Amino acid sequence: MSATRFFGWAGLAAIGPLVAWLTPSLLTQSLVAQATFLAIFALGVGLLLRQNGTVSFGHAAFFGLPGYMLGALLPLKLMPVELLICAAVLLTAGAAFVIGLVIVRVHGIAFGMLTLAVGQAVYEAATRMRGLTGGNDGLSLRLPPHLFGLSIKTFQQPGGMLIVSWLVMVAVLALVSVLGASRLGVLTEAIRDNEERVRFLGYRTLLPRAAMFAISAAVTAIGGVLFSLYNAFISPDTVHWTASGSALIMAILGGSGAFWGPVEGAFVYFFVKDLLSGYTTHWLSIIGMALIVTTVAFPAGLAGLLPWLRKLIESRQGEDPVASS
Amino acid sequence: MAIQLLNGLVYGALLFTVASGLALMFGLRRIVNFAHGSLYMLGAYIGYSASAVLGFWGGLIAAAACLALVGLLLDSVVFRPLQRRDPLTTLLVTFGLALIAEDLVLTVWGKDTLSFAAPSVLAGDWSLFGTSFPVYRVAMIGFGALAALGLLLWLRLSRVGLFVRAASQDPVIAAVQGINTDRVSALVVAISASLAGVSGVVAAPLLSLAPNMAGDILVDSFIVVVVGGLGSMGGAFVTAIVLGQINVLGVVFMPELTSLLPFLLMIAVLVWKPAGLAGERV
Repeated sequence: MSATRFFGWAGLAAIGPLVAWLTPSLLTQSLVAQATFLAIFALGVGLLLRQNGTVSFGHAAFFGLPGYMLGALLPLKLMPVELLICAAVLLTAGAAFVIGLVIVRVHGIAFGMLTLAVGQAVYEAATRMRGLTGGNDGLSLRLPPHLFGLSIKTFQQPGGMLIVSWLVMVAVLALVSVLGASRLGVLTEAIRDNEERVRFLGYRTLLPRAAMFAISAAVTAIGGVLFSLYNAFISPDTVHWTASGSALIMAILGGSGAFWGPVEGAFVYFFVKDLLSGYTTHWLSIIGMALIVTTVAFPAGLAGLLPWLRKLIESRQGEDPVASS
Repeated sequence: MAIQLLNGLVYGALLFTVASGLALMFGLRRIVNFAHGSLYMLGAYIGYSASAVLGFWGGLIAAAACLALVGLLLDSVVFRPLQRRDPLTTLLVTFGLALIAEDLVLTVWGKDTLSFAAPSVLAGDWSLFGTSFPVYRVAMIGFGALAALGLLLWLRLSRVGLFVRAASQDPVIAAVQGINTDRVSALVVAISASLAGVSGVVAAPLLSLAPNMAGDILVDSFIVVVVGGLGSMGGAFVTAIVLGQINVLGVVFMPELTSLLPFLLMIAVLVWKPAGLAGERV
């Protein structure tokens, strides 16, 4: 890793603690922390969109599942809580892999329809299986006093959680960027562009796509773990398909072409929504139109804004007709 | 038991009338209309308001007419300009439209649940198999059967139906043969939208009106379309009926698992036949 890259990542990682230190307002700290949960959620959705070229309307299931697992399994005291948290993420990814093996086989566009059905099945299960999930009342997480060597208060106070979730987000972001350049990353992108040709080259195409689906679910699950630790509570609203839809919108607005696009989209979505909530009740229309305009006119999203501006400036500087052609 | 089967048929009929439009649009343009549930919802709400003035039947006709117009608009403003783009674009644009439609319903009609009475002609109960069964539900099954028969005859016997089937098989070759696929598509989208809207009105006396009704019907319709075989009417018909039965029988025998049954059916069929029940047939 080159020095500039290292300092870039270190600088990014430092922003979170810096925000926590600079803003004494608990509300702001809490908002930033919540935005990072959603950013990690959207990173999972964006990863799937970028690598497999498919949209998911069901990732909220993977966001909520670890929380439900913790809620149901914590009282049983089967294993150390730290291990249970890792197991929850891995089990979520495993479930996604098995489901993925079945649903990635269908025609690209129909995949989105199936993820909606998968997500709603989890939502329905969360509302109906009262014994396990608490139904519509939700489920409280009985967390131990210490977690990963830190007091549980660290995870439930805005300042502490902001630092933890920010660092986790940067780590996940780094993983996603490494994954994009990895063998699996390159292979899934090739399958996305032309599955038949990749098969012709002698690769199996089902497993890599299902694996990528599982990884994207795992990324989202990490966000879900942070979310449920912070709230110590999980309810069916968390797994409703509208939550999946919001995460998808964040990924699209941010632009899934760049690996960091979904994070940018999530922060903009979250803070613009918060800002506008005082002025208008028509958030749904605003976000619907933003989604339409972005998909039709700016498929690269917010992440494409900088390169676009740079190109614009460069073309202004080179005024001669040959360069601009 | 027989009553439960009939109840299943009621929901199956409703699912078919909504999902058939989705299947037709997919067959013709290879697109997924995420706003299809919203068309159903808009139909129900427009029917609700119109029926206050014109009565139930007037409301039904108003919803059919309004939604046909919405369909024409949808085809000319959204589907046609985007037909050369990735189908993902259309999916996301219709998702955006579904959000706007939900906001529209919230603004105009509010977020409270509304209810809507069945017409007096169809009120009351029939005694069937020793118990009473609402006449209106029988009428709903009749409506579904009529829609299925109408679509079947239209697709199999009429000239336009032939064009629709041809364009679904291969839009380019169909266009080369002189079929105006844009006109066929406008007609199909208008009919699909109108059918979804009418289904909304027909369902309204049974299921109440709420802004989340769009999402609920959409999930089941998606399952019907994918499990039936994308773009296949026959497959959608069979799946809708089976799903209707599963929903009702599940409530009776396994109340905790009912909601998971459609999902399990979907997974089972896709493991067995990844292209859906009907495969590639139209």
